[in-house]
Amino acid sequence: MSENNLHNEQKLLNLLEKKFILKGGSVRRERRVEVKVEPKEIVPVLLYAKENSGYTAFTHMSCVDWIEDGEFEVVYILWHPEEKINFFVKTRVSRDNGTLPNIDFIWRQANTYEREIREMFGIQFEGLVGREEFILEDWEHMPPMRRDFDTVKFVEKTYFERPGREDAKDVREYVQERTDEELPDFAKKYSRD
Amino acid sequence: MREKSTTLYIGPQHPGITGNMMVKLQVEGDTIVKAETHVGYLHRGFEKLMERRNWLQSFTIVCRICVPEPDPNEENYSRAVEEIEGREVPERAKYIRVMTLELARIATYLLWYGGQSGSAGLLTMGQWSVGDRNYILDLFEDLTGGRVYHMYIWPGGVRRDLPEGFKEKALRTMDYLEKRLDDYDKLLFENSIFQKRAKGVGIIDKNKAIEWGVVGPPLRGCGIQSDVRKDDPYEVYDKLDFEVPAMEGGDVWTRALVRRFEIRQSINLVRQVLDKMPGGEYYNKIPNPHKWTIPAGDAFVKTESARGEFGYYMVSDGGNKPRRVHVKGPAYVHGITLLENLLVGENVADVSFIMNSLGTCPPEIER
Repeated sequence: MSENNLHNEQKLLNLLEKKFILKGGSVRRERRVEVKVEPKEIVPVLLYAKENSGYTAFTHMSCVDWIEDGEFEVVYILWHPEEKINFFVKTRVSRDNGTLPNIDFIWRQANTYEREIREMFGIQFEGLVGREEFILEDWEHMPPMRRDFDTVKFVEKTYFERPGREDAKDVREYVQERTDEELPDFAKKYSRD
Repeated sequence: MREKSTTLYIGPQHPGITGNMMVKLQVEGDTIVKAETHVGYLHRGFEKLMERRNWLQSFTIVCRICVPEPDPNEENYSRAVEEIEGREVPERAKYIRVMTLELARIATYLLWYGGQSGSAGLLTMGQWSVGDRNYILDLFEDLTGGRVYHMYIWPGGVRRDLPEGFKEKALRTMDYLEKRLDDYDKLLFENSIFQKRAKGVGIIDKNKAIEWGVVGPPLRGCGIQSDVRKDDPYEVYDKLDFEVPAMEGGDVWTRALVRRFEIRQSINLVRQVLDKMPGGEYYNKIPNPHKWTIPAGDAFVKTESARGEFGYYMVSDGGNKPRRVHVKGPAYVHGITLLENLLVGENVADVSFIMNSLGTCPPEIER
């Protein structure tokens, strides 16, 4: 791929580098541009991309838990309908009481994404208006998409076995008893004890 | 005189709702003044499950995210893994993938025919089109072993080569379906009940559509030619010849027509792919799945599914399990912010009609 082909991608990056303080930026490949910013720069960068650079479509917003760094990475993905480029804006916030600016006044569908991230990760969005509950109803535990939320432990603690399974016997053991067949080694490995 | 306002709950179990979700409506007389989408009846936690499974085990559950059209999930998942890892896919596999995706698109539209006409009270249409969809499911059964969930497009290529006689059978099915399209036109599009119900209902504002996050047939039904297959070509779509139908109007009627024209394009695409398909390998073998690690990195890939742009955002930390997989389905916007706004001012009898025209699919909202 020649440099010439990435002209539009590079153009956006150069503009943003002049206007804003970026923590990093690169052209990932054809049709993919990425910048990293501080949380306070999110609204200016997104507004600039939408109003001045033609990135009018809000494609996606996602959150990744980097528990070892004590941070969440939030990714905003925009789309340029004419130049056909996806623009990634990444920012990092603390895992404890992390807050981000609300952007649903720029794209109203961002409201849904923010509600989900608030519920699943526990990031607060300043000024986010909307129903508190999105998917989880009456949830009192840790936000479940955090890495330290252990699904198996939660299930073992919260739910009980259906009546009639008190012996907690593996179905393979029943089969073995009934047929006098020796269980193969690979099947034993996954049995309950 | 202002009529008394009443709250109506449609769903989560309701024949007119496209899956398990609920629309809470505030109605005055027959007119909706406020609509709210409530989800949470179908959350299976796929994204969390994938964080505990290795790369190949995660592949087996992604198809469950969408029942009517599971293949874009598989294709997106595989392509995201391949992009992060830098794994090459054989040319033949790419052609087979495109064929699978297009067959899935036709099958989804045939199912949609049933939902769209059924919500207008025209039940014969669904009997015909869902019956014809079975011929495509037969093809899938021959190709993958599964009728609904295929688990066929996996990282590195596809799981099996085409079985013997598949090409001829697929071409025969395409010829049959093409003939049937005229029958469908007579039954649905020339039906005055459907025309009266569909024209001028659920209008999306063309100037706002892109900003609101509308994608797929609803966007093309506003007259905007937007299709991931053309805008951000993947697999071998840039080597194939097809058109992107778009129509001005923005109502249920144009959305239905756009889908109808797309079926014909997809039939042609399947023919082209079968014609141009090169020989050779169909799978670039992955290492032992238990020891298979993917270098650290992230990728966002997109596919044009039958309901619109489908995307996967995937992050790897260099381990043998995904760090994060975030599924973006078109219904995430169509079913919540768009639907809530479109329903205001509409008749309460048109709720499921509009929902079907947007292709709302709750499993994509909750995952």
